[in-house]
Amino acid sequence: MNRKSEQQATAMPVSTAEIVREYAPLGSGGDIGGVTYDGRDVWAAAGSRVIALDPASGEIVRSLDCAAHAGTAFDGKHLYQIVEARIDKIDPATGDVLASIPAPGQGGDSGLTWAEGSLWVGHYRERKIYQIDPNNGAVLRTIESNRYVTGVTWMDGELWHGTWEGDESELRRIDAHTGEVRERLAMPAGTNVSGLEYDGADLFYCGGGPTGKIRAVRAPRRAAG
Amino acid sequence: MDSLIAAAGRALAVGDALGALKLVALREDPPALALRGIAMAQLGDYPRARDLLRQAARGFGPREERARARCVVAEAEVALAMRELGGAPRTLTEAGAALAARGDLANAWQAQLIAVRRLLLLGRLDEAGAALAALDASALPPALAAVAELATAELALRSLRTATARAALQRAAAAAAHAQVRALQAEVEEARVSLSRPAARLIHGGHEQPLRLDEVEALLASDALVVDACRRGLRNGAARQPLARRPVLFALLRALAEGYPGDVERNALIARVFRTRKPDDTHRARLRVEMGRLRKTIAAMAEIEATPEGYALKPRGGGKVAVLAPPIDGEQASLQALLADGAAWSTSALAQALGDSQRTVQRALAELEAAGRVRSIGRARAQRWLAPSLAGFATILLLPAALPAE
Repeated sequence: MNRKSEQQATAMPVSTAEIVREYAPLGSGGDIGGVTYDGRDVWAAAGSRVIALDPASGEIVRSLDCAAHAGTAFDGKHLYQIVEARIDKIDPATGDVLASIPAPGQGGDSGLTWAEGSLWVGHYRERKIYQIDPNNGAVLRTIESNRYVTGVTWMDGELWHGTWEGDESELRRIDAHTGEVRERLAMPAGTNVSGLEYDGADLFYCGGGPTGKIRAVRAPRRAAG
Repeated sequence: MDSLIAAAGRALAVGDALGALKLVALREDPPALALRGIAMAQLGDYPRARDLLRQAARGFGPREERARARCVVAEAEVALAMRELGGAPRTLTEAGAALAARGDLANAWQAQLIAVRRLLLLGRLDEAGAALAALDASALPPALAAVAELATAELALRSLRTATARAALQRAAAAAAHAQVRALQAEVEEARVSLSRPAARLIHGGHEQPLRLDEVEALLASDALVVDACRRGLRNGAARQPLARRPVLFALLRALAEGYPGDVERNALIARVFRTRKPDDTHRARLRVEMGRLRKTIAAMAEIEATPEGYALKPRGGGKVAVLAPPIDGEQASLQALLADGAAWSTSALAQALGDSQRTVQRALAELEAAGRVRSIGRARAQRWLAPSLAGFATILLLPAALPAE
């Protein structure tokens, strides 16, 4: 990223993310990669399986045996999961892999979300977000950020992504056309973001990486209308 | 962290180095370089591993201090496996502190343990002991606890505290079993077996008897006057008189002790200590002088009486007299017995202690080194000799802990 946008980013006001609740489905160990939300349960990639967590009770209610290394998404019917250098389309009822497309970052991919008929993929160290065709993996658009991109999600037409650069993590709203940073929520020290999903109401779910935790963070309130 | 790094990290954690390499072999970004380095280390290519880890450490940005520090720790561990002990320990200390400050305690402990093992390998036992004492073994995860207990056992054995060593090895075995690291379990087992091998011979009243290390410890703790031909000195309970720098006096003392309670003829002493079968007056005069020196040196523990035929040893306490000899005779066994104290010896000090020429000692050391039974550090005049460490420490198996997924 160029210096100008870095300056713009640092000029943006930063508020501190408010962690509403912390889930520890994997205890204090194990990796949480991507997270997604199907309207009822929070799904999370946990290395060799994808787990579903009931956000009310904090219990693991489902567990699918399938490789899951990074971002996870849900299109209303199927799960999408980044595995090695591809994206698997998974039937959440059975855990069967229905189809696979190549991941745009060739394995450097991190976050994944579904919106408007497209998949949105974060390319971690390239600091990019791609919009891809879920049928063949073709890249439709590339958005540049200026931090390492982990999770990506859409919140009411706004594109948000998690950053995890070294020891610092933030949630950022960026302009989906220019990549300009519009809003920043800093995660408290020691809490890194490995996946991000908006629940459609007032929460972000954030994967906690190697801590094996999932955190619910209050989404910023918007003026009515 | 991205998808392939996560997948490769998982492969490494279960020991599938080739699987991990397949995933990241063509990538040059720092996390991939670090994983490739660890994989190469697991495959035994240490020089390449060190290169990759160095490149990775350089590549991480200023915000990625934790990842950089992990690479430094992993590189230090590879250097230890290569037995390259010249690296700056300060870099390792700083990396450990950086990790601790960022809450990565497991890797900070790992850094501290690498420092302890380095000191052990260098024969700097006091410093190793102090560094080890600074670690809280009960807080360590099992694999690291096993390593810490192995180091404790080694320190205890070097100073002949076999009960402490045995207890530490027991804890090490439990921790290694808990960690489920096979190679670590094997190392602990080997160290335990070595405890029950004969460590010395007791020569007493004309008889010989092999002793295990704990029996040696019991003998040294008894009120017997022990002429220790392993470490070259005279011991009586807590009192000790080192004689490693006085080879002639020690040879005389040992001859007297083997003759105890009788006396030993002058000519026999001359033949044994001065190595001549044709004694003349100069030899007898020299024997008198050396006997006078020995008498003065060991006065606190024993007297030496002149008899019509020769000399006799009279322990002050009136108790037993025993000679503790290396388990087998010969140059090499004597060298190994001396090195068993874990300290770093120079060739000249070893030659002096054994009363041999440096050339003879050097030859024996070279043969022992080729057989892996001694090791050396430094070059030329700075070269020092040490016993091999009791446990090799399954270095490479601990490495994945140095780089858990970021």
